[in-house]
Amino acid sequence: MANEEITTPNNPEPRPIGRQPLRPITQLLISIAIVVLVVIATLFLFKYPQKLGPIFITALVVTLGTFLLLLILRHFIVIWFSYLHARELAHEEIPESYPFISIVVPAYNEAAVIQSSLSSLLELRYPYYEIIAVDDGSTDGTYEKMKEFEGNHYGVRVSVYRKENSGKADALNYGIRRSKAQLVVCMDSDSRLTPDALRYAVYHFQDPNVGAIAGNVKVINRHNIWTKLQALEYIEGLNIVRNAQAFWRTVNVVPGPIGIFRRTAIEGTGGYDSDTFAEDFDMTVKLLADGWKISYEPKAIAYTEAPESLLDIIKQRYRWTRGVLQALRKQKRLLTRSNGNITTPLSLWYMIFEGLVWPAMNIFANLFFVWIALIYGMTKLLVLWWLLLTVLDLLIAFYAIVMEREDLSLVLYSIFYRFFYVMIIDVCKVFATLEELVGLDMSWGKLARKGRI
Amino acid sequence: MRFDWVNILATLIFVSIVVTLILAVASYFAYKVREARRPRTAAELRQEGQGKVFFEEYHPAEKSNQQPDESARVPLNVR
Repeated sequence: MANEEITTPNNPEPRPIGRQPLRPITQLLISIAIVVLVVIATLFLFKYPQKLGPIFITALVVTLGTFLLLLILRHFIVIWFSYLHARELAHEEIPESYPFISIVVPAYNEAAVIQSSLSSLLELRYPYYEIIAVDDGSTDGTYEKMKEFEGNHYGVRVSVYRKENSGKADALNYGIRRSKAQLVVCMDSDSRLTPDALRYAVYHFQDPNVGAIAGNVKVINRHNIWTKLQALEYIEGLNIVRNAQAFWRTVNVVPGPIGIFRRTAIEGTGGYDSDTFAEDFDMTVKLLADGWKISYEPKAIAYTEAPESLLDIIKQRYRWTRGVLQALRKQKRLLTRSNGNITTPLSLWYMIFEGLVWPAMNIFANLFFVWIALIYGMTKLLVLWWLLLTVLDLLIAFYAIVMEREDLSLVLYSIFYRFFYVMIIDVCKVFATLEELVGLDMSWGKLARKGRI
Repeated sequence: MRFDWVNILATLIFVSIVVTLILAVASYFAYKVREARRPRTAAELRQEGQGKVFFEEYHPAEKSNQQPDESARVPLNVR
């Protein structure tokens, strides 16, 4: 197969479509108005608490009580359905045949990690697959490092392409167009798959209605508090939720580090779009809109390098939040149309709840109990609130870690997970949501790779 | 002296919530400042309408048709 080498000047990064950003002066005025409102509300609450009527206080307490009940309900529903899905998978059968798979690896300036990633792909215990590596106009020698792997390696063909820089979505589409396989794996270039990842994933495609499988993403660089907290978050916050959603075959995010797709399903959606910053979520929603089922395989594991500093974490979560909002705006009709499958809009509403409503409620609840403790001296309420949430977090962390046979020491981090780590992420999400609603510009920006995989 | 564990714990929780919130907001603004100071790529500069990215673009084909610039020559110090 001839490999194409295209070296043209960089194109501008794709901009989100469908929404014109507000003028800078308008953005500034809205930001100032928000800050002024928050300051006035804070001063009022602390200087004149007696002016708040009993009805207002009661309404606040009822709202928080409802939030707590929803939280408890959410935890138990997630645990229950993930348990049911795990029982289903316990009876999985070895497939009669293994379809040919193309693994598409897009990369932009990933020289630090690309060779480790490609090496791991050559060690997969799967009989029929190829690797399509696509360099998206890198400037740090990524293409040259990819070229060292080009050729045939014990029956695995590695094809390397270079294209002009136009974003991850285009790079994925470029690779998918050059695939003739029945199944396509789309992964990140900083991910490392476990040898049996594909063998476990293909089992689900025996159901012709399944369009994609979400893999299990784990953090590999667990050597400081930030990465250990993210490791816990991936296990108890992301993977177990996908496990529960998989019971209904409506997983709402096929993660970028590892997603296995039926090639006809991707082609039916028109491929990845470049108009959001969460192309993985966008593609997942498009597949659900087309009526495909999406499941989750906990043994299709991909190790990825998590951000190691707080600012890098905020950068990543900021992009995720705004990308999810952009994708939801594109597919907002799905929130009210079921297309014969009620679980799809429910899954998307859950995404809105967990991504937008929950962070704001979490911050508000913490501030409310702090205020109650300061003004009325009700310290027991504050302690009770903290105890309840911590016990819930310990419970779900223990369950998730035991289910995945993970490092039990991570359970200890759940003690300050919610009131430290999650609070920081929630504040970032709230700001990102406000910025997306206001229409502030944003760019993709790259995280620095340390080469830990 | 009896320790009021509830009040001690409440104080610890209160301090941690307040400190975390301040850290969260400060980190967010630190991230925005870092992004604002990040060097722009050539693609982003062109997108913002800044035409010339480089100080001077070198065109070999054009240079070969021009007379050599005497003032640009630097005399060699040959001993």
